[in-house]
Amino acid sequence: MAKFVTIGERIHCISPVIRKAMDERDPAPILKRAKEQIDAGATYLDVNIGPAESDGEERMKWAVQLLQDNFDNVPLALDTSNKKAIAAGVEVYNRSKGKPIVNSADAGDRISYINVAADCDAIVIALCSKAGVPAGVDERMGYLMEMLELGMGLGMEPDDMWFDPLVVVAKGMQDQLGDVLEALRQFSEQGFKSTGGLSNVSNGMPKNLRPIMDSAFIAMAMQAGLTSAIINPCDLRMMETIKSCDIVKNEVLYADSYLDL
Amino acid sequence: MAFTNKPQVFNAKINPITFGANGHEVTLGGSNVYPLYSFDAPIANAPKVGIQVSDKGFDASLPELAKFYEGCNTVVEMAKRAASAEGVDFVCLRLESADPNGDNASVEDCAALAKAVAEAIDKPLAVIGSKNVEKDATLLGKVAEALTGYNPLLLSCKEENYKAVAASAIMAYGAKVAGESAVDINLAKQLNVLVKQMGIAAGNTVMNVGTAAAGYGFEYVASTMDRVKGAAMTQNDVDLQLPIVTPLGDEAWGVKETLLEESDNPAWGAREERGIQMEICTASACLASGSDAVILKHPASVKTISAFVAALM
Repeated sequence: MAKFVTIGERIHCISPVIRKAMDERDPAPILKRAKEQIDAGATYLDVNIGPAESDGEERMKWAVQLLQDNFDNVPLALDTSNKKAIAAGVEVYNRSKGKPIVNSADAGDRISYINVAADCDAIVIALCSKAGVPAGVDERMGYLMEMLELGMGLGMEPDDMWFDPLVVVAKGMQDQLGDVLEALRQFSEQGFKSTGGLSNVSNGMPKNLRPIMDSAFIAMAMQAGLTSAIINPCDLRMMETIKSCDIVKNEVLYADSYLDL
Repeated sequence: MAFTNKPQVFNAKINPITFGANGHEVTLGGSNVYPLYSFDAPIANAPKVGIQVSDKGFDASLPELAKFYEGCNTVVEMAKRAASAEGVDFVCLRLESADPNGDNASVEDCAALAKAVAEAIDKPLAVIGSKNVEKDATLLGKVAEALTGYNPLLLSCKEENYKAVAASAIMAYGAKVAGESAVDINLAKQLNVLVKQMGIAAGNTVMNVGTAAAGYGFEYVASTMDRVKGAAMTQNDVDLQLPIVTPLGDEAWGVKETLLEESDNPAWGAREERGIQMEICTASACLASGSDAVILKHPASVKTISAFVAALM
């Protein structure tokens, strides 16, 4: 086991500011968000450039180099549906602080992203879903095995496949949250690494409640064995919870300043 | 089935830190394997052995020690003699007389003595202060100033005086400083964090995580050092990737087994022999647990420990 890995989600072209900055190749807004997340303690940064069908390769290269040059080769998760753009990003990627992550594959239409990761010796986030929300724990485990077989057949190390149980939303699918935790427990029992889009749990909830729900859920998920998550690292309550859980799990040695580290 | 060796080599490593100057330097740390695990990977810098000289002289009741320092009339002469002992990597001057509850020597006199010693010896110099936190807050800064250019290692700053010591000794005069905690792993880490938060870069500080004489609660020392090295290597905890320096002469020579005179218990044999054995036992246990340098008082134990390290590299 190891210290929990956080993947900062705030460089996402769903944000108008980021989209505009990417379109115009304007570094300032992107560097600002990167710095905020790194200062807040993010391990990896996710770089979502959208589908970027026309200029994805050039766009991803620009973003990777911009971030790594300015932030001491910060490790990145390359997030786009454009496979060529991922390969192009990996080409210019510096691995000194960690392998690149391909975000993401699933057991359905996106299964070939595992091939992309295998080809460029990257980590892959593998979503345990085919179409829509998996029906239960067994279905999630089934997809995991399908993707694992493919990855291992391509020569990947199981440690380079981070399985995402698909975190469901509390407001509406409350009855299935137990399945998510149980799936994580089973992943962990078999030694697999995991990740997930954590804030999904609080989707649609009032803004003041979201950090509370997110923090409670991540603590329970970490106890179930979750090894990383895609989160907003600027959510102080969430980061404090993660750091505290790492202490409780004996992954990080306690010191009075542990929240500052 | 045949045994296959799986070396435990880590991506993490202990920060290498060099002290001394003018062609007389030693480097501590740098290793990316567990302590003394030279069978897993070559150890970047072998553990070092220092010899401690007190400004209050030596224990003349120990015949072999008296013979070793024979003819030395000053602390500087003692330090020169100590530097020439077999197996010595560095000399450690202990400013015992600075203790306000003892002779209360002035910081100026102590700093001048440290400078005279540094000028006289052909080995890197470490200095241990009075062990009084208030006195050391000014003393170590003054010593660092006097030793400008000698790149000394100063022991130690503690939780109570790290701000003053780090600001003067490290920031103003570029000395290397040890952060001292009393066999408490969380405090050891916390002190490193506090010093780092003052803006001091890694590579300027080492740790003295404390020790005890073998048999006097040493299991706590072993456990502390094990966990420090474990966190540094397996968890890549940068706040614990500092070399450990362990002065142990005072502890080894300060327990019943080494204080009791032969006349009080003839069955135990000569006190000097017992003291040497206690230093050797404690030092070898510290090295096995994680010390990157040990500091001893007796030249006979220095020689043995130095040979012990050489044989394991």
